[in-house]
Amino acid sequence: MTHHTPNAPLIEASHLGRNFPQRQGLLGRARDVWAVNDVSLSVAKGETVGVVGESGCGKSTLGRILMGLDAPSRGGVRFDGRDLATLSGAERRKLSRRMQMVFQDPFGSLDPRRTIGAQIADGLITHAIVPRAEVNAEVARLLEQVGLPAGAAARRPHEFSGGQRQRIAVARALSTRPDFIVADEPVSALDVSIQAQVVNLLMDLRRDLDLAMLFISHDLHVVRHLCTRIVVIYLGRIVEEGPAEQVFGSPAHPYTRALLAATPSLHPRADSADGVLPGDLPSPVNPPSGCAFRTRCPLAEEACARAVPPLTSVGTGWNAACIKATPGGKP
Amino acid sequence: MLRYIAFRSLVALFLVWIVVTIVFLLLHLIPGDPAELLLSGGNVAADPQAVAAMREKMGLNAPLWQQYLDHMAGVLSGDLGVSFRDGAPVIEQIALRLPRTLEVIIAAALIATGIGVPLGTYAAIRTDGKADAVISLFASAALSTPVFVVGSVVILIFAQQLRWLPAGGFVAFTEDPAEHLKLLLLPAGTVALSLLAVITRMSRASVLEVLQRDYVRTARAKGLPVRAVLRRHVVRNALIPVLTVLGLEMGTLIGGTVLVEFVFNWPGLSGYLVSAVDARDYPEVVGIVMTISVLFVLLNLVVDVVNAALDPRISLGR
Amino acid sequence: MKRSTRKLIIPGTIVALVFALVVLAPVLPLQDVRGMDIPNRFSGPSAAHWLGQDGFGRDVMSRLIWGGRASLFIAVGSALLAAIAGTMLGLLGGYFRGVVELFTVRAVEIILCLPPLLLALLVVAILGAGTWPLILALTILYTPNYTRVVYAATQQVRSLDFVTAQQAMGTHPMKILLRTILPNVLPPLLVQMSLVVASAMVIESGLSFLGLGVVPPTPSWGLMIREARGAMELAPLLLVWPSLALAGTILTFNLLCDRLQSALDPRAITAGGALWLRPRGPKKPLTPLPAPQDAPLLQITDLSIAARDLELVRRVTLSVRPGETMALVGESGSGKTLTGLAMTGLLPDTLRLTGGSALYTRRDGTRIDLATLDEEAMRQLRGDEISMVFQDAAASLNPVLRIGDQVAEAITAHTTLSGEALSARVVALLRQVGIPDPERRLRAYPHELSGGQRQRAMIAVAIAGNPRLLIADEPTTALDPTIQAQILALFAQLRRDTPGMGMIFVTHDLAVVAEIADRVTVMYAGEIVEEGPVAEVFTRPRHPYTAALIASVPESGATRLTAIPGAVPLPHAMPTGCRFAPRCAHATERCRERAPQAASPAPNRITRCLRWEEVT
Repeated sequence: MTHHTPNAPLIEASHLGRNFPQRQGLLGRARDVWAVNDVSLSVAKGETVGVVGESGCGKSTLGRILMGLDAPSRGGVRFDGRDLATLSGAERRKLSRRMQMVFQDPFGSLDPRRTIGAQIADGLITHAIVPRAEVNAEVARLLEQVGLPAGAAARRPHEFSGGQRQRIAVARALSTRPDFIVADEPVSALDVSIQAQVVNLLMDLRRDLDLAMLFISHDLHVVRHLCTRIVVIYLGRIVEEGPAEQVFGSPAHPYTRALLAATPSLHPRADSADGVLPGDLPSPVNPPSGCAFRTRCPLAEEACARAVPPLTSVGTGWNAACIKATPGGKP
Repeated sequence: MLRYIAFRSLVALFLVWIVVTIVFLLLHLIPGDPAELLLSGGNVAADPQAVAAMREKMGLNAPLWQQYLDHMAGVLSGDLGVSFRDGAPVIEQIALRLPRTLEVIIAAALIATGIGVPLGTYAAIRTDGKADAVISLFASAALSTPVFVVGSVVILIFAQQLRWLPAGGFVAFTEDPAEHLKLLLLPAGTVALSLLAVITRMSRASVLEVLQRDYVRTARAKGLPVRAVLRRHVVRNALIPVLTVLGLEMGTLIGGTVLVEFVFNWPGLSGYLVSAVDARDYPEVVGIVMTISVLFVLLNLVVDVVNAALDPRISLGR
Repeated sequence: MKRSTRKLIIPGTIVALVFALVVLAPVLPLQDVRGMDIPNRFSGPSAAHWLGQDGFGRDVMSRLIWGGRASLFIAVGSALLAAIAGTMLGLLGGYFRGVVELFTVRAVEIILCLPPLLLALLVVAILGAGTWPLILALTILYTPNYTRVVYAATQQVRSLDFVTAQQAMGTHPMKILLRTILPNVLPPLLVQMSLVVASAMVIESGLSFLGLGVVPPTPSWGLMIREARGAMELAPLLLVWPSLALAGTILTFNLLCDRLQSALDPRAITAGGALWLRPRGPKKPLTPLPAPQDAPLLQITDLSIAARDLELVRRVTLSVRPGETMALVGESGSGKTLTGLAMTGLLPDTLRLTGGSALYTRRDGTRIDLATLDEEAMRQLRGDEISMVFQDAAASLNPVLRIGDQVAEAITAHTTLSGEALSARVVALLRQVGIPDPERRLRAYPHELSGGQRQRAMIAVAIAGNPRLLIADEPTTALDPTIQAQILALFAQLRRDTPGMGMIFVTHDLAVVAEIADRVTVMYAGEIVEEGPVAEVFTRPRHPYTAALIASVPESGATRLTAIPGAVPLPHAMPTGCRFAPRCAHATERCRERAPQAASPAPNRITRCLRWEEVT
């Protein structure tokens, strides 16, 4: 295993693109639909990167590519210095010990027909984490780590509530002692009072296990609470990325600003109705020319239609893809 | 839309070609010599020399690939060959018998849909009631009784015991329309019974499912009268899968009416196929199978197009 | 035992009996199946021959049982073989897709291009009649059915997260197929199996009937019917016995299949249908009461809703004044949606009101109790006086009707508007809810609109009749943040435009409550725990649940969120005392023993907590 310096990224994606050729009807010419386009990002140990964006923006596809569950059409992913594309099936399966995933739907993420103990043990056995004789003890330890009694191992998923299932899913992900976890909307299907349980658990694990985590969510409050760095995606492209305080405190991209303004708050601002973004998300089949956001952007001008604006630095480790990016500026 | 139909027709032609090829190869690769079958009467073995001559005449001595190419070339020019048995062009026999089979199927479909849809809808509205229990039991029983049993029993009842209708046979419509329809009634009714069972069950299940849909609740939330909710929102949506099933069932019936034709002595296409298979009459078998496959695949295409017309969510080729 | 499982007993027992009978045929004390007795041909039932004798004087009952043995052997044998082949092809095709799918699923589907009976006929004609050719023919015939069923189920299962989790775990694909996917596709496979056995019997008997199946003298039901037809006039009973046996056995298998399906598929509709379609009892007379001058638009008092003996909503009391927006907030299972649905009489059939009243003040100034109305009286109110916006607009709009027609329908349900005036009104409504280019969009079908536009159309439907009470059930929950903001702005606009309209806004999102509502009612486990003006409740909650809920929203800047331990109690396991006590940080022995009554900490405010004075 390569030894890495504290700041070296554990997982590094460069210029990722994923297209799904979409046929217009049965006969039409296939068109490229880019779910993810020119996305570069990296996650280091102990870091939680939040990916935010609206439905269909490509954030889940990005998570699957980083996990190696989906192959990028362009660009590549390096995990701990190794290019995922060059690995054989067996090597890739071996590497999967170090990267795990937590899913959104607490009802779909566990096999209804097997006991949760058996499901947690899968990873332990596949990767020979502990000797066979110690599997049961290890399952019990993992369950306790996520706040469930060890006796729960013999039960099946339907006997647990949504929040408990989500914790079981976390225990299963932890079973292989991974370095990197992709959490795809892990709390959005949960009730508010239960969400906090899972968010707290994830925060504890990051602290105790020094995990690298990619946290995908559309809930800005949760992301802001949990993440150290933020990546904002619109129609498959990164529009802004940077440290959480900067991106949420003084957003540079007009989309980030609009997203923040649109998120309901317990303490609503008096002018909340004024910042409402008009229109719908454009179809990824037929994206606008130039900056994809220009059709809804309050600042758009002619130049925006000409070329896709590149990510440019607006501060230390903070970039925005907007020709009119103004850090902290009010629209 | 037209492009879609054109594309689907091409796919259909391809499928028919595969089917015909498979049937052709199967027939030629299996044991059983048509020439020998034709010439041997009873238990008397045929004269080997005569058989050889017959084989030559039938073109059976050419290499298989050449027989296949010759046959396909014929098919493309609209010639399905001549029957081994009587030397008549196969296409004439098909043109004569196909309408008779279609007539039975269409009559059955009309009867089944006309009765089945209202019956199924009513059963769904009265779920778990007495009417539903009776209708569902009737449908299950009708579905579970093979056509030849139904056919035999109706002959026993209507022809043997009550003597209301003839037990079977065929008279051309042009000769005696009244007698033709009289003879049609029992076979069409027999086929209709099992189709009716399918349509009734499907209508019931479909209406029940639609009743649970959120948009029915929305329609009620508008304050629409019950009749309007049923007509515009429930039955209209429920009919789409019922029509699909009807189309597919009719497809299955083309070629599946063998038993009914046998029971009622109805000289349709399917019965003709059985005797052709029996006699190893290759041109006839291939010709009939091809006709049936073309119709079957075509009907599937019609079902898709009708579905798209009824359900705006399905877009064809757009 | 569940009702659906219990219903399996009868067909299951009969199938088992039939199997036992044919399996035990060699050891049963039956007459010789081939023993002829020409002098007694066509004899009726007798002590020696219970079902009589056939055309050769053979014992009919013995032939019936042995015939069933042949039929069932062929049907079950081919069903099993086809199941094995089809499952393998379907699993591989469904899991690996691509080229594998082409060579498995698509390849066998060619078989489906041939009508089934025709195919069986061809195979039998080629291989000759007999038991084994029949089994082969039927196996080929039914393999595509299984392949399709397993393929569809596999595709469905493989997209589920627990399969992705196995892939992410580095499990070998074959292991995933066998350990994870196969058990999950078994239920549809079982159903298909009983269906195929029935269908195979139909085809087997049909071929035997044609003389192309089982070869005489081996008995078979199809053959027996064939032979009996010849002697129909002499001995009609000979036709009846095998027909009954055949149809009865197939019927039992079909029944088993139906019931297996509803037992295995939890979504299957088991009870009800739609009770609203059946008018029950005599029409209740409507008794409008005069309303006091300052009567609220809606006054709900002690309303309870139950499913059989499970109380889901208990003694809810709340009121909505004209022009006021009342937010009904709570977690899943709190009863907030049911309370909203009850106000329009749209509760699911399994639920009913078990007590309380809901006094509604109509346009004409009289009051009626919604809790006592029958379906017809309720229908007249719906859309006209009281309207509802549903959560999932995609499912709540009819997919095969144009948007314009669906809005128009809501207008014509209560007015006589038609023609030009009607379409002008539809366009105006669509414009009011912010659908761009309404003249053209009214011809669109729901699926042609974006999620936000659909919700706007749903709102247009709801306000088409100028309702005085609008109930919105989580109308923004499924929407993206920027679209949610648009819809919330639309609701705010509606409030400004129609100052007399009251609104009940059902949501689980406290932040949405803060944005939209004047007053808030917090529900927990079927009860109201707190009520009051939004600003007051949020700055100073007077119930520990509300306080914890607010603290668990990750907006405060605190490093650690306040999590409420445990989960909402289920209706059949409600705590005896305060329903929140098991999860409450302030609960004492007293809280667990006694259910608290509603208390009023301030005018306009209500809390259901014994200790509100000490802990809030």
